[in-house]
Amino acid sequence: MKTILPILLLFFCGLANAQTTITGTVVDDSSQPLPGANIIIVGTSTGTVTDFDGNFTLKTNLNPPFALQASIIGFETVTEQITKDNQTVNFVLTEGTSLDEVVISASRTPERIFESPVTVERLGLKEIKNTASVDFYDGLENLKGVDVNTNSLTFKSVNTRGFATFANNRFMQLVDGMDNSTPALNFPIGNLVGMIETDVQSVELLPGASSALYGANAFNGILFMRSKNPFDHHGISAYYKQGITSQQAAGDNPYTDFGIRAAYKFSNKFAAKVNFGYLKGTDWAANSRVDKNSNGGTRETNINYNGVNVYGDVVATNIRSKAPLAYKSLVPDVSVSRTGYDEADLTDYNAESIKADWGLYYRPFENDFEISYVGKAGTGSTIYQGSNRYHIDGFFQEQHKLEIRNNNFFLRGYVVGDKAGKSYDMVATAIQINRAWKSDTQWFGDYIGTYVQSTLGGATDAQAHAAARAVAESGRFLPGTPEFNAAYNKSINDPNLITGSKFQDASKYYHADGNYNFSHLIDWAEIQVGGSYRKYKLNSSGTIYTDTPENGPIDYSEYGIYTQIQKPIELNDALSLKLTGSIRYDKSEFFDGFFSPRLSAGLTINKNHNIRASVQTGFRNPTTQDLFIGLDTGAYVLMGSAPDNLNRYSRPYNISDAGQALGQPSTITQTGAAAYTNSYSRRSVEQLAATGDPSVLKVANPGLVKPEQVTSAEVGYRGKFKNLIVDFSAYYNKYKDFISQGYVIAPLYGTAGDNSLSVAAVANEDYQVYGTYTNAEADVKSYGASIGLSTKVFGNFDLSGSYTFAKLDFDQAKYPDFVTNFNTPEHKFKASFGNTELFKNFGFNVSYRFSDDYYWEATFGDGVIPEYHVVDAQINLTVPSMKSMFKLGATNLTGKEYTTAFGTGYIGSMYYVSWTINNL
Amino acid sequence: MNAKYKWLLIILLGFTACNTEEDLSRTPVVEPLPELTTGTADFSNYVALGASFTAGYTDNALFKASQENSFPNIIAKEFAKVGGGTFTQPLMNDNYGGLAAGGNRITDPRLVFGGAGPVSLESVIGPVTVSTDIVLNNPTGTFNNLGVPGAKSFHLLANGYGNIANFPAAANPYAIRLTGSSPNASILELAMAQNPTFFTLSEIGGNDVLGYATSGGDGSNPITDSPTFDFAFNTLVTTLTSGGAKGVVTNVPYITDLPHFTTVPYSPLDPSNSSFGPLIPTLNGIFGQLNNVFAYLQSVGAITNAEERSIVFSTTAASAVVIKDETLTDISAQIAGVLSASPEFAGLLQSFGLPTDPVTVGTVAALFGASYGQSRQATANDLLVLPSMSVIGTVNTTAMQALMGYGLSQQLAAQFSTEGVTLPLEDKWVLIPSEQAEIKAATDAYNATIASVASSNPNVALVDLNSILDKAATTGLVSDNFTLTTSLVTGGAVSLDGIHLTARGYAYMADKFLEAIDAAFGSNFVESGNVANIGDYPTNYSPLLQ
Repeated sequence: MKTILPILLLFFCGLANAQTTITGTVVDDSSQPLPGANIIIVGTSTGTVTDFDGNFTLKTNLNPPFALQASIIGFETVTEQITKDNQTVNFVLTEGTSLDEVVISASRTPERIFESPVTVERLGLKEIKNTASVDFYDGLENLKGVDVNTNSLTFKSVNTRGFATFANNRFMQLVDGMDNSTPALNFPIGNLVGMIETDVQSVELLPGASSALYGANAFNGILFMRSKNPFDHHGISAYYKQGITSQQAAGDNPYTDFGIRAAYKFSNKFAAKVNFGYLKGTDWAANSRVDKNSNGGTRETNINYNGVNVYGDVVATNIRSKAPLAYKSLVPDVSVSRTGYDEADLTDYNAESIKADWGLYYRPFENDFEISYVGKAGTGSTIYQGSNRYHIDGFFQEQHKLEIRNNNFFLRGYVVGDKAGKSYDMVATAIQINRAWKSDTQWFGDYIGTYVQSTLGGATDAQAHAAARAVAESGRFLPGTPEFNAAYNKSINDPNLITGSKFQDASKYYHADGNYNFSHLIDWAEIQVGGSYRKYKLNSSGTIYTDTPENGPIDYSEYGIYTQIQKPIELNDALSLKLTGSIRYDKSEFFDGFFSPRLSAGLTINKNHNIRASVQTGFRNPTTQDLFIGLDTGAYVLMGSAPDNLNRYSRPYNISDAGQALGQPSTITQTGAAAYTNSYSRRSVEQLAATGDPSVLKVANPGLVKPEQVTSAEVGYRGKFKNLIVDFSAYYNKYKDFISQGYVIAPLYGTAGDNSLSVAAVANEDYQVYGTYTNAEADVKSYGASIGLSTKVFGNFDLSGSYTFAKLDFDQAKYPDFVTNFNTPEHKFKASFGNTELFKNFGFNVSYRFSDDYYWEATFGDGVIPEYHVVDAQINLTVPSMKSMFKLGATNLTGKEYTTAFGTGYIGSMYYVSWTINNL
Repeated sequence: MNAKYKWLLIILLGFTACNTEEDLSRTPVVEPLPELTTGTADFSNYVALGASFTAGYTDNALFKASQENSFPNIIAKEFAKVGGGTFTQPLMNDNYGGLAAGGNRITDPRLVFGGAGPVSLESVIGPVTVSTDIVLNNPTGTFNNLGVPGAKSFHLLANGYGNIANFPAAANPYAIRLTGSSPNASILELAMAQNPTFFTLSEIGGNDVLGYATSGGDGSNPITDSPTFDFAFNTLVTTLTSGGAKGVVTNVPYITDLPHFTTVPYSPLDPSNSSFGPLIPTLNGIFGQLNNVFAYLQSVGAITNAEERSIVFSTTAASAVVIKDETLTDISAQIAGVLSASPEFAGLLQSFGLPTDPVTVGTVAALFGASYGQSRQATANDLLVLPSMSVIGTVNTTAMQALMGYGLSQQLAAQFSTEGVTLPLEDKWVLIPSEQAEIKAATDAYNATIASVASSNPNVALVDLNSILDKAATTGLVSDNFTLTTSLVTGGAVSLDGIHLTARGYAYMADKFLEAIDAAFGSNFVESGNVANIGDYPTNYSPLLQ
C-alpha cells in the first residue's frame, strides 16, 4: 500500500502566471461520493476540498503537466497526472484502515499510526461524524484506555493510565499547539475553552508519559486537538443540536448547542476564520445525602452528620472540649456538626458555555511558510469539583498565539489568562450563610448550653442532643427566604475567604516553544530540536493562592529543551526497523534540572505487523497549587509548600479555655509553616482520640514538595489479519517522589513531639488541620494493558471492541495516610457497532462502555464508584442537496444513572437531534 | 454468524464486575460482635440484696423512675437475654419520693436541680402530698429487688426490721414495704424464700460507716464494729450461696470521697460578702484578745498549740470557718480566768455597752471560754458535710437567745452566734482528721473481710467499688464518651444528695457488675455489647416528673 504524506512532500517550486482549471469528483470504491477529500497540486500549497457530492473545482496559475493528489482520512491517497487545462479527473479511493491514519503527535512529525513508536489514539472526522456521544469531546470516552471523568455537563476531565482527579495535572491538553490548562488551576478544563465541532480536524491522544518531547506536564498522557486550517477548509459550516438532559435529581431539561465556523481564503497568501459556539443546558444535579462520617447516617441519626452534597455541615466541633470546665462531665466527648444546606439551594445548575476563536493566516510565499495569529476566548458557567464543589460562573479564559511555521519548523508564543468571574465555593457559601446567621462560637455555645440544661432537667443523652440542636437551630435561615438570599448573595460576592466565598483570579502564563526538524538537511536520520519557556503570574488576590493584596502576584518560570533522532533501517524486504531516541532537559525556577530520555524501537514485519517497545522517563513539576495555594476549605487549610509560601499564610486562632488555663494567650497566630515544621499526622491524632494514648501521636512535618518522576516501559503490537485489525499495548510505570496530598494537624502551642504541651493542644482541639503537598517515600507502581480489535462484519458493518486493564501496585497497608488518587477501574470494555451507509445516506452507530467498580479518592471525598454499563446510539441521515447531516442520538439509553467520581451528580441520559451543515 | 466473530459477542455479553463493591470499600469493616454466651451462672432467678444503691435511691429519695433505673434492674434487663426471669421491684407510689406513715410525712420528697444547686422539689413545684404510705399502701408479693435504703450489714439479718410494729425504733420504713405477709422475716429470709439462682449483695458495709460520717462523727450514729460486720457479711454470703447460687458482692468505698463531704470548702468565708467583709476588723479585734490569751497560755506552758487555736480573718482572701474540735484540750476555764482579769477585755465589753462590773466580766469571760475552749479554724484536712453549706454564716438562734439571757442586745447576741464565724461549727458538721481515720480504718477492715470471702468462694465475684469511687474522684470514669466525676450536680455520677448515684452512675455500676460476672463466670456481656449505654440514663430527673 502506498500512503503518501502530502505535507512531507511539499517543497518550493517556481511561480507561474497562467490559469488552469480542473474539475472532477472523488468517490470510494463503491462509487459513493467522498465529501471533504483534500485535493492538492503535488509540490504546492494550492488545493481545495470536495463538496458534499464529492465534486471539486480547482484553479491554479500552474501550467500542466503537474500531479494532482486526492486524499481523505481512512482512504488510500491517489495521485493523477494533469496534462491539460479544463481536464476532468475522477478519483476512486480505496478505503484504508484505522492503522493507516496519520498522527503527528507521537513523534512530533507525521507518521502512520501503524508505525508510531508509542501508543496513540486518534479521533478523526469520520469518528466525530459517527460518534453516538453528544459531542466530539464526549466521544473520547469511546477510545480505548481512556476514562472521561464527568465533573459536570460541560466540564469533563480525561484520565489515561490513572492517578487522576478532576484536577488532572498529570495530563496535558494542547489545542493547535496551545496548552489550555487554566492559569489559576493548572490543569485542563475540558473543552470549555477549546474548539467547536465543525472546526475539528483531528484529535489525537497519547496515553503515557511523553515528557521527552512535551515537557513537564505530559506525564500520564496528552491530548492534541487540531483545527482546520482556513487555507484547506473554507466556507461556512455550522451545527445545531437540540435535546434534553434527563436526570432523576434535576428532571428533564432542555439542552441547546450550536456553533458556526466561517473561513475564507482571500488568496493563496491570506486566509482567516472565525468560530463561535454556544451551549446551554442544566447540569447534572448532585444530591447525595450519604453521610461521609458514618455508615448509613442521616442528619436525624448522626449528630456529626456530614452529607456528601450537603454543605456547611463540615463545620463540627467536639462539644466536650468546648464545654465550660465545670460542665465537662455532663457533656460527652463527641463531635457535633452544624446543619448544612443542600447543594441545590446553593446553585442554579445553569450549564452554559460560550466560546469564540478567530485566526488570521498569512502565507507570504504561497507555500508552507505561514504566519498566524489565533485568539480564543471562552466563558460560561459550570461546576468544578476540587476540594469542595465550586460553581464556576462567568469564568473567562482567553488565549492569544502568534506562530511562524513551515514544514520544518515552528516557533510560537502565546499567553493564557483567566478571570474567575462570579465563581464561588458552594461549601464555603453554605458555611458563610450559617455564620452570617449565627457564629460557630454562638451556635456551639447554644448547643452545649442547651445540652447541659436539658441533662440537668432530666434528659437522656439522645434527648439532650435533640433539644440542643433544636435550640441551636432555632431561627436558622431557610432557603428561599429573604434572609437566606441576602446572606447567600453577600457570601458569593465577598472575596475575603474568612467572611465570603467568592473566588478572584486573574492569573496568566506566558509560553513560548519552538521546534526544528532537520530532515530536509540531513539524510541519514531525522533529527529534531526544540525548546519551551513558560512564565506564570499568579494573581488570585489571596482567594486561592497566598498572593494577597499585601503580598502581590506571584511570578515564576520554567524552561525546557529537547532533541529527537529517528532512524529507519531497512533490514530486508520483509523487515524494517525504526529507532527513535529523544531527550529533554527541563528546569524550573524552584527545582533542580531534569533529563527525561525516551528510547523506542519499532519493527515492521511483512508490512502488516508492527512490534514496538519503548522506555521513557517523565517528570512533572509541582503545580502552582502544590506550591502556592493557601486556601481554607472549611475542613482544613490547603497549604502549598514553596518555601516562601509558608509564611505568607497566617491566621489568628482563638484558644480554648483549657488552653488558656495552661497559660496560653486567648489568641494565637499561626502561619502555614506550622504544617511542615510542627505537625502531627491527622491519622495519629484520630488514633489518639480513639485510644486516649498520646504515644500513638506521630510527628508529620512533611518535606517540601519537589518534582515527581515516572519511568515507563511499554511494548505494543499492531497488525492486520485480512480485515481484522489488532492494536495491543502493555505498560509498566514506576513513580518516584510521587506528589500527593497529606493531612496534618498543627498544634497552636507546644512543639510536635514534645509529649506535653503540644499533646494538650491536640486534646483541647487547639490546632489547625492542613492539607499538605509533599512527595511520598512510598513506591507507587502501576501497570496495564489494552487490546483493541476492529473489523468489518456482514459486509460493511463496522465492529470494534477494546479491553483495558489497569492496576495499581501499591502497599496501602504500609502507607495508610498516602493517597494515590489512582481512580481507575481495573477492567474496562468498550464496543462499537455501526454502519456509515446502511442504505443510501443513512447510517447508525451503537456504542457500549463497561467500567468495573473502583475506589475514587480525591480531596472532596472518597468512595466506591459502582460498575456501570452505558449504551449510546445514533442514527443519521445525510441530505446531499442541503449539504446537511441530521443525527438523532441518545446517550445512556438504558437510563440507569451512573457516576465516574465520588460526590458529583449522577449522569443521566441525553436525547438530541442535530443538524450539521457543510461539515466536510 | 461467522464463527470468528463469536468471541467478540462472548466478550460483549460476559462483562460484569470481577470484584464486588464491598471488596473495594475502605470503610473500616465493623467486626460483628460475638454472640452473647451465658457462662456457668444461672440467671433465671435473680435477687438483689443491699441498701440504698440497690434500691435505686437518688436525689435523697426513692421514687418510681429512680427504681426503674436501679442498677439491679439494669442488670436484670441484660440477664433477661440469657434466661433471666421477671425482675419485680417494690415500686413507690409516685415520682415525688418521700414516705408517709398513716398520712403523716416521715421523709421528704426528692431534691431537684434548682438552677444553681440542689433544692427541694417543693421549692420548685409547690407543696405535694407524699403518697407512698407505709401504713396505707405497701406493695404485695415477692420482690427481686430487696434493697433497703439505710440498712446496715446486720440489719439484713434482723427479724422484725420490716415489721411496722417496731417502727420507728427498730424497723426501717423501706423494709416494711418488703415484708408483706411475713412481717418478721429478715431481708435475707425474704431472699432465700425465693430460692435465688443468682444474687447481688451490694454496698454492704456502706451504711455501717456512712451514718457516722454524715453525722459528722458526733457519736449519734456509730460505726459498726468489725466483728459484727464480719459475722453479718459471712452469714449473708454463706446463706445466699448455700443452694448453689452464684452472685456478686461489692466492697466499701472511701465514702469521704463523695461530694457530700467534698463540696463545701473549709474556707468559704469570702471578704467580698457584704454581710461578712465589713465585720472583719471588729472580729479580728475581738479574736485578737482571744489570740492573746492563747499566746499567754502557751507562754506559761498551759497549752502548746496557740497558733492552731488562733482565729484570724483575712480581708483579702477567703478564710476558714471556725469549728469545734473535740480532740483539743478543753481550756474554757483558763480562757475565762485570763479574760476576767484582763482590763482590755473589760474595755471591750464597755465598747459593746455592757457593764464592766466583775460579775458581768466574769460571766462573759466564762461564755467566751465555753465557746472557744475547743475551737480552731478549719484546715484542708477537715471535711464539712453538705448540709453545713446552708448553716455556715447563719445565726444560731439557740445560742443567740442564750446570750441575750446574759443581757446582750439581740444584735450583739446574733453577732456572737454566727455559725462558723463567732460560733464554732458543731461536731456534726465537720469530719475532723481523726474521725476520717476511724472511717478509713473501719472501711479497710470491712474490705479485708470482703476480699477474703470473695477470693475463697468460687461462687462469688467482687466489684471493687472502692477503686471505682477513687477513680471517679481523681481521673473520672470514662464510658460511652462520658467522663463521670464526683462533682456535685455537674459530675454526672453522684446525685443531688451528694451520696447516692445518678441513673447514669447506676448504669455505669451495672456495667461494672456485668464485667465482674464475665470475668468470674465466663459470660461475655461486655464483649458482646450487652451492657447499658450510660448515655441512655439521665443524670437528673425533671421537677415535672410526677
